[in-house]
Amino acid sequence: MTNKLNKYEKIEFLGEGQFATVYKARDVDTDNIVAVKKIKLGSRQEAQDGINRTALREIKLLQELHHLNIIGLLDVFGHMSNVSLVFDFMDTDLEVIIKDNTIILTTANIKSYILQTLQGLEYLHLNWILHRDLKPNNLLVNANGVLKVGDFGLAKLYGSPNRINTHQVVTRWYRPPELLFGAKQYGTCIDMWAVGCILAELLLRVPLFPGVSDLDQLTKIFGVFGNPTEENWPGVRGLSDYVDFKPFTPIPLKSIFTAAGDDLLDLIEGLLVLSPIGRRNCTESLKMAFFSNKPAPTAGPKLPLPQSLRKAREAQKPTLKRKLLDKMEGDILAKRLVF
Amino acid sequence: MAGNFWQSSHYQQWLLDKQDLIRERQHDLAILPEDEYQKIFIFFSSVIQTLGEQLKLRQQVIATATVYFKRFYARNSLKCIDPLLLAPTCIFLASKVEEFGVISNTRLITTCQTVIKNKFGYAYTQEFPYRTNHILECEFYLLENLDCCLIVYQPYRPLLQLVQDMGHEEQLLTLAWRIVNDSLRTDLSLLYPPYQIAIGCLQIACVILQKDQKGWFAELNVDIEKIQEIARYIINLFELWKTYDEKKEIQGLLAKMPKPKPAPQR
Repeated sequence: MTNKLNKYEKIEFLGEGQFATVYKARDVDTDNIVAVKKIKLGSRQEAQDGINRTALREIKLLQELHHLNIIGLLDVFGHMSNVSLVFDFMDTDLEVIIKDNTIILTTANIKSYILQTLQGLEYLHLNWILHRDLKPNNLLVNANGVLKVGDFGLAKLYGSPNRINTHQVVTRWYRPPELLFGAKQYGTCIDMWAVGCILAELLLRVPLFPGVSDLDQLTKIFGVFGNPTEENWPGVRGLSDYVDFKPFTPIPLKSIFTAAGDDLLDLIEGLLVLSPIGRRNCTESLKMAFFSNKPAPTAGPKLPLPQSLRKAREAQKPTLKRKLLDKMEGDILAKRLVF
Repeated sequence: MAGNFWQSSHYQQWLLDKQDLIRERQHDLAILPEDEYQKIFIFFSSVIQTLGEQLKLRQQVIATATVYFKRFYARNSLKCIDPLLLAPTCIFLASKVEEFGVISNTRLITTCQTVIKNKFGYAYTQEFPYRTNHILECEFYLLENLDCCLIVYQPYRPLLQLVQDMGHEEQLLTLAWRIVNDSLRTDLSLLYPPYQIAIGCLQIACVILQKDQKGWFAELNVDIEKIQEIARYIINLFELWKTYDEKKEIQGLLAKMPKPKPAPQR
């Protein structure tokens, strides 16, 4: 246990969230680069609860999951309530990529990202797991263009009938209307709505529904799709937090996503459906024409990297170049000697 | 519990071989003969069950805690950690993993104190000696020794499906369910997949209730030899219970059990 503490050598600080601090580190034994997520200890009260629940959820689920598009949990170490999780190191995430205005996201690029997202999510759903916090920031991308779904702190097994779940999940901008109306029984459709929002954001480069409150969130959603009715969403009025909104006229998606082709619009329209049962699931979405039509999804290594990463790489290059040059000069020198 | 059993850590890492189990237990079995070793585990399974019932936990949580307990000692000697400390720690961890609300540590310790005093006074003359910090320290050690494999599949769900398929009968389900609870007192959860345990328990229930379901069993696509092995484990347990008086013997057994060295005094 103690020797594990020295197994990872800290390289740099990567980021800080509500529950954890993340570091880039080197596995001393294998030389692999990893991400170490150190769970914050929190208050003394929380420390009394032992191993943090969020961390425990990640451990229990990721221990069972093995898929190219799901983040890999490599190791766990710590002492008492002080837990660290070791993950695959990922260079960037979709939020950074979307916000980087030096990157051009072509249809082929978007296809690649969404394809990988859906493949990872399909695997999760087939294993009866809901992610419950999909957003660009949790779709991690490495320098080879492999996308992995990360952050399982809110993920949960589903499928037990009548089980009451909290509706306080999913970051607001990606939260589907049924959760905003207080639904406590839900399934994979909540993740599908989030995928729809992420796809829209890849096209627009800004969030589709950046609500500032739960009510504002619903206003923004209905502003695009029109109001929910018992016809387009049976049972909506029965939800515990249901309220009537002023009437909205739906806007055709074509006028929002002006650059998107029809096959891409079809995919979005299947995901962003007000009624949860009307949404296409992962398997159905993956069979849509968009994925078989041209252009083919961009191959991983050809996907664009954010500016910061490119710069870091270029900064490394001269040294490499010099080394090669030195070597070449050496060779040349040797040759000269021969001559 | 949902998920895919065939790809789970339970199936791939935690179905052990009888021979491995005997080898791992060598140290303890040099001190305790096998029947005494088993009696100690029967006792602590009861402790976990009683603690769980007192805390109003679902049986699923209790069963998971019991499997954690057994998995830990499948790899470690009894002298590694006092089972009286590991038992509540397993409950603490299992209730979090199964998303069963928060059991506060104070409530857990208080419950341990009352349960040990009122229900297991025949085994322990002194009061429950552990505190929150012991449980917290033990929790991480447990997690490590489980190799972070926390999702445990139980026979309850397959049992419900099987009984329904057979033609739902309340009496049969109740009895078979109880036999599954009893199976937690054996090594079965370490050796056989839960669906087989469910079939084995159901078979015994049918025999006890004198229900002839030979045709139904014959149509099952299972290794019937495994089912017979499982049934034998349970029958052996029932046989043992016929002659065994825990109240008389357990103090002697606990005294004989290998124990952790007391922490060095500073």
